[in-house]
Amino acid sequence: MDVRIVTQAFDPQQEVAAFAAGRDDAGALVSFIGTCRAATGGVAVSELHIDHYPGFSEKEIARLAEETARRFACPDLLVVHRVGPICPGEAIVLVAALSEHRNNAFEVVRILMDYLKTDAPLWKKETGPTGTRWIEPRNEDYARRRQAGEGTS
Amino acid sequence: MVRLVFLGKFGDVAPASLAEVALPSDIVTLQDLKAWVARQQPLLGAAMEATRTRLIVNQCVAHDLSQRIADGDEIAFLPPMSGG
Repeated sequence: MDVRIVTQAFDPQQEVAAFAAGRDDAGALVSFIGTCRAATGGVAVSELHIDHYPGFSEKEIARLAEETARRFACPDLLVVHRVGPICPGEAIVLVAALSEHRNNAFEVVRILMDYLKTDAPLWKKETGPTGTRWIEPRNEDYARRRQAGEGTS
Repeated sequence: MVRLVFLGKFGDVAPASLAEVALPSDIVTLQDLKAWVARQQPLLGAAMEATRTRLIVNQCVAHDLSQRIADGDEIAFLPPMSGG
């Protein structure tokens, strides 16, 4: 299990390659990369800023990852989450899972992303042509979180 | 003295003077503290009132606002989270 918060740009492909290197115990590798969009709802985004609470954010994301991995009997997970200022096109989050078979690897990545949207102690602020705005989870994010289960709160 | 941390949009309206404060003697619980902060900074109080606010004490989630505050505590005010 490797869970990290980083303040600098990272290369998700390189991270995934290092994570999976030599893991011939796993028959499936699934990864998700979330990137910063250049526009939201047709409105340009010049920068995204993610605020975090040092110590607590790392601890909570690790807890979410460990509980999700245990739930899906997933032997190993990688989570890298960027904080601070982020430019369009740069990676925000990487979640990768190794598993014996593909179904558990797909599920653990999907469910962990649902948790991260609403339960990871991180706060996004978008800057665009009309100023800045803090982003809060949408109703559909909360709905997906409920479907994902209440086991980690 | 207690340390107060305001995250996300709360950080935009919280003055630096609230980072470390000596609380009046009648501020005993987290509920008292939340109300006191709102009285000191009405903008911050309105922002907390308008959304779900979670309190974290010394890096642990506070589930009960009747929890007592101790000298030296670090208490964080968290608006709804938006990771991923």
